[in-house]
Amino acid sequence: MDAVVLEGVSKHFNSVTAVSDLDLRVAEGALYGLLGPNGAGKTTTLRMMMRVLIPDQGTVRIFDEPLSDRTQDLIGYLPEERGLYPRMKVREVLRFLAALKGVTEAEADRRARQWLERLELGDWAEKKVIDLSKGMQQKVQFVAAVLHRPRLLILDEPFAGLDPLNAQVIKDIMLEMRQQGTTFILSTHRMEQVEMMCDSICLIHQGRKVLDGELAAIKQSYGKNTLRIQYSGNGDFLNLPGLIESANHFGATVEVKLRPGADPQEILKLAVERGVRISRFELIEPPLNDIFIEKVSAADA
Amino acid sequence: MRKLWLVVKREYLARVRTRAFVISTVSLPVITVGILLFAQVIAQRPQDRPLKIAILDAAGGLAGPVAKGLNQKLPDGRPAFQVAKTIEQPEPTEKAREELRAQLRQGQLDAYLLIPRDVLEGKAAEFHSKNPGDVTVTAPLRRAVTEAVITRRLSDSGVRVENLQKVIRSVDLTLVKVTEQGEAEEKGQTLLLATALAIVLYITLLTYGIATMRSILEEKSTRIVEILIASIRPSQLLAGKILGVAGVGMTQFLIWTVTAGALGAYGGAMSRALSPDAHPAPIHLPLSTLVYLVIFFLAGYFLYAALYATVGAIVSSEEDAQQMQWPVTLLVIMAFVPFGIILHDPNSPASVVLSLVPFFAPILMFLRIALQTPPFWQIALSLALLVLTTVGLIRFAGRVYRVGVLMYGKRPSLVEVLRWLKYT
Repeated sequence: MDAVVLEGVSKHFNSVTAVSDLDLRVAEGALYGLLGPNGAGKTTTLRMMMRVLIPDQGTVRIFDEPLSDRTQDLIGYLPEERGLYPRMKVREVLRFLAALKGVTEAEADRRARQWLERLELGDWAEKKVIDLSKGMQQKVQFVAAVLHRPRLLILDEPFAGLDPLNAQVIKDIMLEMRQQGTTFILSTHRMEQVEMMCDSICLIHQGRKVLDGELAAIKQSYGKNTLRIQYSGNGDFLNLPGLIESANHFGATVEVKLRPGADPQEILKLAVERGVRISRFELIEPPLNDIFIEKVSAADA
Repeated sequence: MRKLWLVVKREYLARVRTRAFVISTVSLPVITVGILLFAQVIAQRPQDRPLKIAILDAAGGLAGPVAKGLNQKLPDGRPAFQVAKTIEQPEPTEKAREELRAQLRQGQLDAYLLIPRDVLEGKAAEFHSKNPGDVTVTAPLRRAVTEAVITRRLSDSGVRVENLQKVIRSVDLTLVKVTEQGEAEEKGQTLLLATALAIVLYITLLTYGIATMRSILEEKSTRIVEILIASIRPSQLLAGKILGVAGVGMTQFLIWTVTAGALGAYGGAMSRALSPDAHPAPIHLPLSTLVYLVIFFLAGYFLYAALYATVGAIVSSEEDAQQMQWPVTLLVIMAFVPFGIILHDPNSPASVVLSLVPFFAPILMFLRIALQTPPFWQIALSLALLVLTTVGLIRFAGRVYRVGVLMYGKRPSLVEVLRWLKYT
């Protein structure tokens, strides 16, 4: 069964087309990455899944059901713009939000206690939200999204504003929930996170789907056409218009996209001849970041 | 329905628990009662000792009768006036006045009364005192001088009167309010009560209307609304918020009514115990008026809540809210402009028409009911128009809300807002 199916979905706001004829399929149990530049229509797409917006055309189905109050309760949502009632106590906010999703208040309290303990917020349950630090509020917000045990969890930039330690905790929880069968949709700009976590992605641009499918398959289709070189010395050896299409410099590392048919050995030879010290020389699939940029600029052209 | 109830409950509890609610609940009656008590204390500060007064009688033969007429008693039984000295027909008058003035300044006298030579021809008498405005002193003084002068004029024209006070006593006019329930003595309390209740209605409509707007704006600016409408239909969320705030208003009314009832009973018992003879004007507040107060508060609140909610959904900052709420607040205030027309004649055609206008009806129709129950068809018509308008406005607010809560940033123009109505 698919967790989410969008068929021919369009959404307009006056003359602006936010989403145009979008087909999308998220398999149950997937960790799905929804990517796109700012204003691509990601939030509109997510809102249509949650019935916050109704599509002008097309159909949306959640776990094989048309949108209803029931499908709303199956979804948990962590919006990019975080927000809770600042003057309510943490436990009360969590109880209210879980109750809105159909959990009894006693059960909500019980689960909230466990979650807050796990996230080291046990002592803060009776404090007002406004008294919590920003990172703590982020964690409470995450608890609010998962308290009703959603089958589908939609996370918009879930790690924004979290320190590495807390990001690690949230990531572990996500993987644990995934093992228990929860489906995830992750909307983010952080390509390295998508690359490491997601199994499938969809790239949308100007309301249209540009690319989708399993991440591994997408990368494979590009082939190993990229060199990752870690070096010290003069980077001039890369001025090779005949062999290199483009280069992305990160300081000590450079990612080089090869021209079709170019031989990596040529580049290694030139580097050694010019006295550049190479500590890493690797032929890889193109990073998602490059695929993203290439697809988006191609669509713009 | 369960989700709606959850929103109502949260909104109600979040508001009732605030310090602002406690303060406003306590302060409004305290301030009202305080002002009333203060006015009463100022007006009835009792004179604590006999007033030492001198009478300078330039006309001659009047000082005695005036002194006799100043026979009022203080509450403790002592005389209110003590005539320290009388001077008749002094020559020259100016020198005698100088002396009295000096004695007044030194505190040997509290006041002196100057009866001019031509007083019988209509010249005014003069009362000199450090505090000449005290009505509790000047009223009996005026009466005493008037009686002495009239007796003199009568006897000068050959009429002898034994007990002038009895002869010239003026006739009081007792005002009686005729209602459908019967008749009740009117001493201005109906007017006062009706105005006071209309003002309470006005203040609460405004307070709770604005509270609804702020509550919507708060959910918008904290962005929690995005999570909420992923869990509940926007129309239910809006309805829940409006009902929750209405519940807070009703709670406040209930607290006030019970307190007022208790205070009224206590005050009545106290005043009877203190002065068994006094018959304070009974404040006649029929139960029907209270019921209408609640009905018109609710109907009026829903009407204005819909308008304020629309404003709250359109704007995304406190500054914009301040500006945008003005047209709505102006509507509430405008209901106050024709107050005079209604008070003057609650049944004039102008009063009837004004009290049927839905935006004014909550306050003006209630004012008419509190003054003088209008024909039932007018109440029914005004309520029907009010309810119809409210239903329309709540639908409008719901459609704007649905879109508005997701819109941030620049304040949209009216044209843009009207376009929102077409979104699905």
